[in-house]
Amino acid sequence: MATAVAFTNKPEELFVDKHVKYIQTLDTRKDELEYWLTEHLRLSGVYWGLTALHLLGHPGALPRDETIKFVQSCQHENGGFGAHPSHDAHLLYTLSAIQILAMVDALDAVDTEACVSYVRGLQKPSGVFAGDEWGEEDTRFVYTAIQTLKILGRLDAIDVGRAVEYVLGCQNYDGGFGLVPGAESHSGQIFTCLGVLSMTDSMDRLTPASKDQLAGWLAQRQLPNGGLNGRPEKLEDVCYSWWVMSSLAMLGKLHWIDRNKLVGFILSCQDEVRGGLADRKGDAVDVFHTVFGIAGLCLVGWGGLKEVDPVYCMPVETTKRLFGAK
Amino acid sequence: MSYLRAVMAANDHSPRVLALTAEIIDMNPAHYTVWGYRFRTLMSLDTAGQLGTDAVAWTWSRELDWVQSIARNHEKNYQIWHHRQLIVDHLADSTGERARTEEMFALDSKNYHVWTYRQWLVRRFALFDEEELALTTKMLGEDIRNNSAWNHRFFVVFGALPDGQKPAEEVVEREIEFAKKAIQLTPQNPSPWSYIKAVLRKGNVGLATLQSFCEQFSPVSSPDDIKSSHALDVLSEIYDEAGDAAKAEKALELLASKFDPVRKNYWRYRRRQLGSNSPVVSATA
Repeated sequence: MATAVAFTNKPEELFVDKHVKYIQTLDTRKDELEYWLTEHLRLSGVYWGLTALHLLGHPGALPRDETIKFVQSCQHENGGFGAHPSHDAHLLYTLSAIQILAMVDALDAVDTEACVSYVRGLQKPSGVFAGDEWGEEDTRFVYTAIQTLKILGRLDAIDVGRAVEYVLGCQNYDGGFGLVPGAESHSGQIFTCLGVLSMTDSMDRLTPASKDQLAGWLAQRQLPNGGLNGRPEKLEDVCYSWWVMSSLAMLGKLHWIDRNKLVGFILSCQDEVRGGLADRKGDAVDVFHTVFGIAGLCLVGWGGLKEVDPVYCMPVETTKRLFGAK
Repeated sequence: MSYLRAVMAANDHSPRVLALTAEIIDMNPAHYTVWGYRFRTLMSLDTAGQLGTDAVAWTWSRELDWVQSIARNHEKNYQIWHHRQLIVDHLADSTGERARTEEMFALDSKNYHVWTYRQWLVRRFALFDEEELALTTKMLGEDIRNNSAWNHRFFVVFGALPDGQKPAEEVVEREIEFAKKAIQLTPQNPSPWSYIKAVLRKGNVGLATLQSFCEQFSPVSSPDDIKSSHALDVLSEIYDEAGDAAKAEKALELLASKFDPVRKNYWRYRRRQLGSNSPVVSATA
């Protein structure tokens, strides 16, 4: 698993071809232990890889038919999707499945009505969603449920008002949002909560002063080395280039951080030989950090990349096709 | 795994499932399907009165010990904590659970999953008490920059207050003093600054009461003596509220140009907002 990584000393360059190649070969590593240890998140892995390829301008780099077939093979009778055909249905992978199909324009390849009914069944009286029948209940799953239904045009199937109230109840004294009411503010959870408010046209439930406080907190995530952290007094990590920046984008305050410093940090996390990005320079690359690093670059307008939708983490080309021009 | 699939397909909840799922979880505790199946099996054995008998030596208490050993080796995993929560909720008994989470805090004092579980415990068993407050005092004594512990302290002090009810004056006073002491030690630590502002709002105490406290860290008229960007930030609000536009502008300009230039666009936005009479934060938190 710990492969030697050649980190770039040329932080002004994005190695697009290397990253495309890295993602294309992810599924050919079946002789590596890591491949099997990540089976429980395979479908999300496909979503991360495919999104990165779209943003890099290589949407056809994974075989479309095989991708659709794999997604189909992950759907269960209850309508939800598992991470892999041998894993139970779960909301996280249900959203990944629907996002993948949305990106390759093949939503009719699966039983979407069954999917809607699966998602609806996971909402609790408080408005929150559970990840699966036995799983945790928190704002991650409110986001995944709502995006799934939004793509399928079926937000009417759930109690949107209660979901919004639940999310608003997760706002903290510092302006940020946590996993559940009372939990510490965390950039990843802020993304999911603002995403819910955006998708349900509820951003005006936050006062202008509260939005400013939140955007100020998010701007405070930038460290002197340019990278962003997820919480105060924690280390920087490439994936927060997405969670923090997409949140700032939803608040219209992307310019509150130092763009050039962030770009320098993200580019320094590339493996210039094998491709891919790591959480920070010196660590092993993976597809999760690869997509969120690239998506972060998209948000700050790095040349040659496709535009990304900060609410959905999909190419704007896809969300425009789904929802029309904004 | 394919063997477990067969077991699950047959809806087998016999004792051997415990050994089988333990083996798979040992290899990969992120395997969400397996945790759910293990819990259902335990519940089924419990309902049948079989746990802790000659037939099944396993007990809930042994299960909790085993889960803790997995947690120690997989600190980033969150399925473990949900499993634990389901069990402790079912047993309706929190004995020993505080000590277990504290054992985890010794490994990582900012572990998000463990803190979330701890908050669940406090809510589930109404533990908004002196012991809980003392934990946050102790942990902040060990690391005054631990934002998770600050967040938990706010939760413990104010989390049980019914909506709209004001906290007792002496509690507000005590927490203001607690945060001030932390700021004295680490003026550039963001957590106690967020905390003190929130306590003031909760207690309906004006921000202006902090003016002389802030000025000792960041005298606007003497930039070389400034020790805290956060104090400057608060002072800009205090001066603005008092109608002293020149001083408020000076504080924000010092932040943009000298003390926090990485966020200069933010500070200049704040400068343009001066005099708009909208408090930087509404009193919702």
